[in-house]
Amino acid sequence: MGEGFILGLSTGAVCVAYCGPVLIPYLMSESGGLKKSYILVAIFLAGRLSAYLLTALLAGIIGQSVVQQSDSRTLLMGIAYMILSAMLIAYGLYRFKEICLGHTIKTIEKDKKAKDRFLIPLTGGFLTGINICPPFLLAITGAIDSGTIGGSIMFFLAFFAGTSVYFLPMPVAGMFKRQHVLRIIGKFAALLAGILYFYKGLILLIR
Amino acid sequence: MKTTPEKNFSTTGKIGKSLLLLLPMTLLIFILSTGGKPNFTSQVSLIAFLITFFFFNILFFMILYKGKVDKFRAAGFITLALFFALTFIVDLINARGTMTFNNETMLSCEIPFCHIVSTMIILPLIFSGGIIFPGSIIGGFASITSMLVIVLGVMIALGRGFCSWGCFYGGWDDGTSRILRKPVIKKVNPAFRWAAFAVLIIVAIVSLIMVNPFYCDWLCPFKTVTEFEKVTSFTVLLKTITFVSLFAALVIILPLLTKKRIQCTTLCPMGALCSLSNKINVFDVRIDKEKCNDCMLCTKACPTMSLEKTDVANGKPSITCMKCGKCIDACNRSAINYHIKGTPVGKRVTLARMLFLYPAFTLLVLFTSGTMQQGIVLLVKLFTTGSLL
Repeated sequence: MGEGFILGLSTGAVCVAYCGPVLIPYLMSESGGLKKSYILVAIFLAGRLSAYLLTALLAGIIGQSVVQQSDSRTLLMGIAYMILSAMLIAYGLYRFKEICLGHTIKTIEKDKKAKDRFLIPLTGGFLTGINICPPFLLAITGAIDSGTIGGSIMFFLAFFAGTSVYFLPMPVAGMFKRQHVLRIIGKFAALLAGILYFYKGLILLIR
Repeated sequence: MKTTPEKNFSTTGKIGKSLLLLLPMTLLIFILSTGGKPNFTSQVSLIAFLITFFFFNILFFMILYKGKVDKFRAAGFITLALFFALTFIVDLINARGTMTFNNETMLSCEIPFCHIVSTMIILPLIFSGGIIFPGSIIGGFASITSMLVIVLGVMIALGRGFCSWGCFYGGWDDGTSRILRKPVIKKVNPAFRWAAFAVLIIVAIVSLIMVNPFYCDWLCPFKTVTEFEKVTSFTVLLKTITFVSLFAALVIILPLLTKKRIQCTTLCPMGALCSLSNKINVFDVRIDKEKCNDCMLCTKACPTMSLEKTDVANGKPSITCMKCGKCIDACNRSAINYHIKGTPVGKRVTLARMLFLYPAFTLLVLFTSGTMQQGIVLLVKLFTTGSLL
């Protein structure tokens, strides 16, 4: 669980930095005050949580039925950690501006037929949740590595908690005055998390 | 030509005024170097005291007389780093017979507490009520409580000025960044000034989850010149390779090539924490926009990349400023100065400068004087007996 939380914390800032600029203006424009903003953020987070739980279930099934049965489990996980952490390092070093699926809610927003105000943050949250980016893939690897469906769900819950920390101050507008700094710090944090997981993969392979 | 009262108050080039303003510092240097009770057990310890006493008096006099801060601050600051490493290693070898520590040392809580660990123990202390560092809580050498009190006090008094005036590691990359006259790598991406904040976030959280001071365990480059874990497994070997490589890269090679304090800027979590304390600290550095001609000499001089074009336009360095005084010295229009928050920029600059320099230099003397005297005694011993032990 701890690892999931760390991974979430180290990559959550990137999620906010890249997905936030699309989501925040919508969330803020829909809101009549701080309380309503927090309700919308909560719905958005619920969307993300549902995506994570779904992924956790799939990862748990794969972990329990396939990877745990394999004789080369340690080797497989070691290689997976190393490859994905290398991707996370690259993610930290380079620009992946359009990587967030949350950007697609621009289209939904323009759709006049989308009457349900809660649908947009919920969909945005879900799409952000299943966004195929290195932190998410690394989280899947960690969940598979846990070896059970329960372990996988716990891992993703911790991952969700870690990333959500960064979404909570969203309605407080002052925070976003220095959004570029947050983005830089987030990328460095992703880089460091990548290095940590690279080490983990290396130790798994050598053992 | 009409001169302002401010110009008359300046000590630059004036021996009498410089000596007068040196007097309170002379008294402080004497008290801090002797503990208020001079008790020299040998001729060598008297010599060590005299060298230390005159060294700091000369440095402070030169700061006043020459009107420059950084060069003389750095002389004291680098001395602190070198003598700290020397005396620490000798003390360790005298006490344990080795620079390495093992499980037994950790279990007996004998590991000296350094200020950087403060960044890792706060969250576990809040959430679990326990301290995750194998050091002495109170009493003994470098206890956790005394170091936390010092760190908190200095952060309130000087903000990130601690990183240029009191840190006993900072002198390493400050020193190596001064070896070459011109940088080989001329431009470093200023985004790197925010890297230490990411390190702070990661090490604070990982330390909380793992119940282990993660930075000390894996990353701290200064273990190379202090103490480190005995290599007994592959994981410890990996740790050793990591911190030695970080020391070579961030403390020696990159500062040498860039003339920037790369370790302090990019890896030190304590630096990031101190940066945050710049917000509550009363002193800052400000640019008088009326005098500034946008020559950008200050941006080139800043060793922490805290002054970029946008910062000059804003009239102040970023939150990461270490108050080392290098930009102040580099500005040939005297447009940059120490400043007291809430007062007008460009007014009473000498007063603000003196109000900052007294506590900052006192901190430098406080941390260096004892270490320097002990180091001199050790060096004399080395030359006379051929051994430091």
